[in-house]
Parts: sequence; C-alpha cells; structure tokens
Amino acid sequence: MSHKQLDTLIRMINQIAANNGAYPHDEAAERVASHLQRFWARSMKTMIIEYRLSEGDELSPIAKEAVAILAQAAVSKQQGADSAVQA
Amino acid sequence: MRVEKFNPDKDYGTPARLSETLVSVQIDGIEITVPEGTSVMRAAALADINIPKLCATDSLDAFGSCRLCAVQIEGHRGYPASCTTTVYNGMKVTTQNEKLGKLRRNVMELYISDHPLDCLTCPANGNCELQDMAGDVGLREVRYGYNGEHHLDSKKDESNPYFSFDPSKCIVCSRCVRACEETQGTFALTIDGRGFDSKVSAGQNQDFMDSECVSCGACVQACPTATLMEKSIIDMGQPEHSVVTTCAYCGVGCSFKAEMKGDKVVRMLPYKGGDANHGHSCVKGRFAFGYATHKDRIKSPMIRNAINEPWQEVSWDEAYKFAAEKLKAIQARYGRDSVGGITSSRCTNEEAYLVQKLVRTAFGNNNTDTCARVCHSPTGYGLKVTMGESAGTQNFDSVMKSDVIMVIGANPTDAHPVFGSMMRRRLREGAQLIVADPRHIDLLKTPHLKKAQHLALKPGTNVALINAIAHVVVTEGLEDKAFVEKRCDRESYNAWREFIQQDRHSPENVEAVTGVPAGAVREAAVTYARAENGSIYYGLGVTEHSQGSTMVMGIANLAMATGNIGREGVGVNPLRGQNNVQGSCDMGSFPHELSGYQHVSNAEARTHFEKVWGVTIDDEPGLRIPNMFDSAIAGTFKALYVQGEDIAQSDPGTQHVEMALRSLDCLIVQDLFLNETAKFAHVLLPGSSFLEKNGTFTNAERRINRVRKVMPAVAGKEDWEITMDLSNALGYPMHYNHPSEIMDEIASLTPTFSGVNYQRLDELGSIQWPCNEDNPVGMPTMHVEDFPIGKGRFSVTEYVATDERTNSRFPLLLTTGRILSQYNVGAQTRRTDNQVWHDEDRLDLHPHDAEVRGIKEDDWVGISSRAGQTVLRARITDKVLPGVVYTTFHHPGSGANVITTDSSDWATNCPEYKVTAVQVERVSQPSEWQRNFKSFEELQLKLLQGDEHKTHA
Repeated sequence: MSHKQLDTLIRMINQIAANNGAYPHDEAAERVASHLQRFWARSMKTMIIEYRLSEGDELSPIAKEAVAILAQAAVSKQQGADSAVQA
Repeated sequence: MRVEKFNPDKDYGTPARLSETLVSVQIDGIEITVPEGTSVMRAAALADINIPKLCATDSLDAFGSCRLCAVQIEGHRGYPASCTTTVYNGMKVTTQNEKLGKLRRNVMELYISDHPLDCLTCPANGNCELQDMAGDVGLREVRYGYNGEHHLDSKKDESNPYFSFDPSKCIVCSRCVRACEETQGTFALTIDGRGFDSKVSAGQNQDFMDSECVSCGACVQACPTATLMEKSIIDMGQPEHSVVTTCAYCGVGCSFKAEMKGDKVVRMLPYKGGDANHGHSCVKGRFAFGYATHKDRIKSPMIRNAINEPWQEVSWDEAYKFAAEKLKAIQARYGRDSVGGITSSRCTNEEAYLVQKLVRTAFGNNNTDTCARVCHSPTGYGLKVTMGESAGTQNFDSVMKSDVIMVIGANPTDAHPVFGSMMRRRLREGAQLIVADPRHIDLLKTPHLKKAQHLALKPGTNVALINAIAHVVVTEGLEDKAFVEKRCDRESYNAWREFIQQDRHSPENVEAVTGVPAGAVREAAVTYARAENGSIYYGLGVTEHSQGSTMVMGIANLAMATGNIGREGVGVNPLRGQNNVQGSCDMGSFPHELSGYQHVSNAEARTHFEKVWGVTIDDEPGLRIPNMFDSAIAGTFKALYVQGEDIAQSDPGTQHVEMALRSLDCLIVQDLFLNETAKFAHVLLPGSSFLEKNGTFTNAERRINRVRKVMPAVAGKEDWEITMDLSNALGYPMHYNHPSEIMDEIASLTPTFSGVNYQRLDELGSIQWPCNEDNPVGMPTMHVEDFPIGKGRFSVTEYVATDERTNSRFPLLLTTGRILSQYNVGAQTRRTDNQVWHDEDRLDLHPHDAEVRGIKEDDWVGISSRAGQTVLRARITDKVLPGVVYTTFHHPGSGANVITTDSSDWATNCPEYKVTAVQVERVSQPSEWQRNFKSFEELQLKLLQGDEHKTHA
C-alpha cells in the first residue's frame, strides 16, 4: 500500500459521502457503503477497511460509518464462503 | 399501384412527405397512390417514371428554377414544374410528349451554350447529371454558338484542400446554396448578382477557405455538374464500386458509401439510407479518411524489453509469444490482479467485447476499463440509477418534434456536426433554444433562430443550476403530476420534492454561485416545463465534472418531473463523443459489469457467462483506469493491454499518467500509429482502421450500425483477430471466423442484444437496442410504457462545490473542449488535410483577462495549475466569460492535460476536465514538460525509424 494510494481513496470516499450528505446519516452511510461495494475493487475496499481499523481519522463521519458497514459485509461474505467450502 | 418502397440509391427529386392522407393520381396512364403533399416529380419517380431534372434533388426542398421537369396536367394551362407541383386526387399528368421534349431540349440548349464541352476530360464524366439530362432530352445541337458572352473563363477556386470550385461549369441551379442552407444550416453560400451575371459565391465573394464554409461537403454532393468536385475524384477518377459502412469519428455514427477503385477509397459519400445522418456528413467523415493510408501507419508487430531500447520488428507469433510470456511471468510474480486491459471506443463492439473477455478469462480478473471512463461514465451511472438504462432515450430524428431544446454542456455544431445541422433545422422551424454553457457556442448563432436563451454559468456549477430550474418547476406547480403519479416511484419523488423545494435552491439564492441571473433561470424553467415537447441534450460539459453523475441524475429528475420522457420530441439525450462510446460501455468494458450492464455481483448473470466462457468470473469489480495508474505507481499493477486508446494524451494529469506507464513491466499497445501511449510500450501490435475491418458500432442513439471492410488490413489483421490470437497465446482458446460469430455470442449473453445478428442488421440497415423478443426491430424511443426498473426513481442532487476552486494563485478557470475539424487526441485528423483549419491548440481568453495581464493576440502564454504548466498561443475572444479560459487537446505537444488535475466525478472517477483553476501569464519559451516531451518524442521516433532501429534476426 502506498500513502498516495490511500490518500486518494480517503479523498474519494469522503467525496462520495459528501455527495450523499443530503440523506439522513444512516441512509447516507448505507448508500456510500453500497456504492463502494458495487464499484470499488477488492484491493481498494481492503485498503480503506484497514485504514478505518488502524486510525480512520481523515474519514468523514458518513464515510467512517460506511466503511464499518463495508467491513461487516466483507466478514459476512467471507463467512458465507467459508461455510460453502465446509459444506 | 401503391408505392412506398424507398431506395436510398435513387434520387426522387423532392423530399418525402409524411401524411396519413393518401392521394391517387394518374401519371402517364399509371395509377399511383402517395401521401398528400407529395410532388408530381416524386410521385412519378416512385413509379419509376423519371422526369428530367437539374435543380431538383430529394435532399432539398423543390426550387423550380431549371424548367427541365415541366409536365402537362389535364385541365391546367401551360407546363408546370413537376417538382413544385403537388399531387391531388384524380390528377392526370403527362411527362413525355413532343411539346415537352422540345421545351426540354430548348432549356438544355441554353445551359450547354454556356458550358465547357470537355466531357471526355471532365472529372464528372460518367457521373454528371447535366450530361445525363442532355442525353435524356436528346440534345443534338446548340444553335447559339459559343462566341457570345459566357462564363467559360471563370477562375477556379482551389483554396479548399478537399474540393475545387470551377464556376465555368456552374449552371446556377442553386443546389449548393440550398444544401448549405437546408442540409448544413451554415448559409455560407449565396447567389451573387442577377440575371446572366448570377454566380455562386462563398461568403462575401470570398474563397471557400476564407468564407464561413465548414467543408461538410453537402454542396459538393448536391452539385449536378463538376463545378464543386472532390479533388480525390479529380486525381483518381470515378469509383467503380462502393460499400456501405459507418464513420469512425464522433458518436453520430453516420452511414457512408465508401466509393472505391479496387482497394483504394476514392470518396466517402454520405449514405441517404443511413438512419442517423440521412445523407449528410461533416468535414471529418466526408473527407478526413486519408489517415488510413498515412505513412505513419505501423505495419508490423514490434517488441522491446525497455522503452529506451530500439523497437524490433517481429512476426505476429513472436510478438504474441513475447507478450504472453511477459504477462504470465508478471502474474506469477505479482499475482492475478497485477494486469489489466483497456478497450477502445473507436474499435467495434465485437473488438471491445473480446478485450474485456480476454481480461476476464485469460487474465482472470475484472481489471478492464474503457475510455468512456473519461467521458460518459457518469451518463451510464446517472441514467441507470434514475431510469434503469445506461443510455439516451431517443433517436436523433426525435429532435424534429421538439418545441424546446435545452442544450447543456455540449457543442453539437462542432462535436456532433451532422446532428447539430438537424438541430439547427428544427430551430429554424421555430423550436426554442436554451443553452447552458460557460461559452457562447455556435448553435446560439444559428441563422433564422427564432428564440434563444443563453445561461452562461460559471464552470462547475451545473448542479446548482439544474436544481434551481427544478426548484422553479416544483414551486410554480409546473410538474406533470399525472406522469409522476403513473410512472415514477412515489417515495423517491417525495424525498426529492422535499429537497428541491427548499428555498436555498431558488434561482435568487444560487445566482451568486452560478453567475446566471435569477430571472433568466426562471424564464428557462418555465419555457422548458411548459413546452409541448421539451428535450435535453448534453455532452461532456455535464459529465466531466466532480458532480458529473449528480448532474446527469438532475437532468433525469427534471425530465421526469415535467413528463418529458417516453415519446418523440422529448427525452434525455447524451451526445456521445467517440464513435463507439455507447457500444464499448454496452459490451462490458467497465470493471464492474458484464455486457448489457449486468453487474459482476449478479450470480445469475455471472453463471450464464461462466458456462459459455468456461471460467470462473470474479464477483468483485476490478480496477478503473485511474486506479490502475495509482496501483502501477504503487508497484502492484505491472502490465496493461491497451487497444486503440491514447491514455498518455487523453487522460488528465499527464505527468502522473506517464509515471504510471513508466512503472509498468509490460505495456502492450494495439494501435494504428506510434501514439503517445505507445512511446511507453514494450509490445506494439499494429491495429486496423474502420475501413479495414468488419464489425458494428453503436452510436449515441443506441443504433447498432454495420462496419464493413472495404480494403485489406494494412498490417494484415483486424483488431478482433489480434485479441483472439493474444488470448490463444495466453492459453485461453478463442476461435472465431468472423465478427458475426462474436456478435452471436454477445446476443446469447446480453438480454438487450438477444435479437441482434448480422443478417437482421443487413435486412434492417441498423437496429436501436434493446432488440429482443419483445422488440424484434429495436426501440427508437425508450421508456414509453415503463422503465426497465419499473418506476422512474428521483435522486436527491445536493450541490457540492468542486475542490478545484480559484484563489489568488490560480484566479482563472480553465475548461477544455474540441473543435470541428479535429477529433479527440487528433491521431487521425492530424494526419489529414484537416490540419489546415487547426494546426495548433490555442488558449482562448476574454479581452478583459488578456488586458489586465498585458496579453495580446498570438502571444505565448504559460498556463499553470496545481498539476503543472504548459505554454500555448493566446487567442483573445469574448466567446468565453471573463475569468474563464478555454483550450482544445488535439495536439500532444500542447500538453493540455499537463494542467488538468486528478479531481474527478465522485461516482465514476470521470475526470473533471471542465474545471481547472489556473493562472495565465506571458512567457517566452515552452514549459519544462514541453521541452521534455519534445526530446522524448525525438528519441522514440529515432527508436522507431532511425539508425537505432533493428530488425529481429
């Protein structure tokens, strides 16, 4: 991971959050998370989740909440995949 | 007999009339039934009775000047002109008898008495209407001699690079003048003088090049003699066969007859049967095809290990082997996701499909993207979210039923000229025009324009403006409540309505943001909302912003709120830049979706593809182009396959792009030329132009048009063959014998294309998708009954100002665009005579901004942004607002994208080309980047052609 790449991702997610800022906080966070889920590559999602877990200071409140939703979705997806393998 | 069949190769003399009322007439004893308003000449032609004519042609309104088409009508005195006389029930017409024959011979005799008798050496020999008519009427002598007053010594005008004007051959039929007015809408030509002194004149008695002529070729095509004649015909003679194909320039997708002599293109003639262009053309499609045989074409594959090494010419197999080994080694070392590909919006649907298929199969990831990323990706996003389909809603002809035309961030007369002409025709007929653009575009100068409004907003404030317009619509009760109730999702509508009616969106409150007077916004809103049919056309001035997607959704909101969706004359119409932007998006080029906009997370769709392709498809999106660049610089993305795109010139932040390209271990470029990107490449695969391949393009109105091969591929292979071979070398088998087989596969996997195949395309001429069981011949107007998502969804469109703002250091806003004669990065048009119109990119700035900086016309000026600096010559014009500067990006050495930044659309990463904060000052030398560019270019040309070039042993 490079700092430049991370900086870009932080800027991108904050911009996405700002553009969904007219919605109520929870709905906005859901929308941002859904957007990342649909349009960001796996490596980008991983990078922003790791940043949120390590510090996340530069994320706007909506962005921070969105990454939390994204992280939860990633865990659920992984658990689903693990269950499928075990089955 | 009832006649309706249309043969595009026949000239019916006068235009078709659309009427449900039919009229029966008898012509030379034959009963014919035609629509009311049809001319006698056309009715006769429909029955294969061909009345002699000179001033008439079916692309122009009847004029009635030549008198050659005189007929006799029972019960009428004299000999009325059949072109200007319309039929009525029971009319009895005689087109041939002794009196008429004598009259026509007399007319012809007068014409020929002032016409050079050089038929055998005339370039129109064999394709001259005057010659044909002389034969038809049986002219055998000219009694007047040739010693009287005449025009035979008139001087030729050779100023235009593509056609000559020889007044000595002119019969003053006015077809050229009328074509310039009616077809093109420029009004550059006129008949100067009276009586015998009448002559065709360009502008104010100027040379064609000095006049307002835009070289569309309509006058040349309309000319019945050799007066206006293509220089290629003068040089090479008349063609011996022709093939109908589709232009590879802008998103209008004009049909042309490529007229050939053997395998040489003699002339590109706009095809009357083309449903996008109806026989019209622009200077690019009509004349600028010489790049296909330019000496700069790369003719054999080349490889090298590093970009400072000479290129080695190799066989195709050696090139594939070299590329495949590198790609495999990179994936083995850096992982499956370390490579990707970029499809081209200039190549065919089949070729774009194959590249993304190669990425998803042979590469095994979703790292595929397309140049639509940097132009219309917000269109795909915004229209999908609101109306459920990533495409415009209408066909081009729809504009002819618009009463109010709103053009936002588009410059159709330059960027989509043939459609621009159609729009101008509708404006002349009385439609009102609303333009929202920082620049005073030429459409606002349309001759005979009835009513127009220019909302000259500040760059970057589109969303604030569209919100203000929508605010007026809602607060003044101008919504189409019945449409909203029946067709739109109530919950999303209520949320939007609550948002948009807030007072902060009122025109008065956003006036300081947009710079547009509140009264003008209110007037525009009322005009659009009250129109019987209101249409919106938009271009890159909407999409290439940090809020490009929001603006597209704002436009869709406005159209739905006013009920301007689902019928002819209305709609939301993105004007696509390149010839196949729509198609490359349709074909699954984006990293998050498969063909037909099927998201990769959609398990059902994925399974369908996996069965046909025999691989597992990643259910997560891949990297977009800017993400690829960032990852390359970070060292995790190491190889890129680029088909027919010049990202080093076209993408923003040139230094950043160059750094990314230099970071790659393997860059494979497939292109016609050593373009800017290829200078950083390790493998160069010579591609084929549109003249050298079979396939399809999809234009801005979703129209799938056939591209037909008219000459052998210069380097031996069509682009789809190259991708197929590369895939096979990588170990993923692809076996197609013809692009039609690729289209069959596309149709089998793409619900909106399921009814498309080459046989049907040949039968119908073209098809507007969706084409499937429900719509077997396609769909000209979308969303007539419902939306693909059921109900239309309103989106809340909060205005978020771009981070790219002016300050004391960068007090001006730069916006970029294109001009008529050049196309995109100029790789094609710079290699044609179109250079005479635009051989350098200039910086346009307002006289006030120039004066305070001491800048004069033609001064060299440095343009600095937070991204970089470049130097251009200044052009001082009030076409731009004070505080705004403008340039084009057609010449690589201009470095327009050295100064554009990494600011991009929040939803799609489409770059914000239209807003860059800059400072401008007089300078005396090129920028550092330009100096580096020049030396790098010299090195790369040397490595390509110079002493250091070595052939592989």
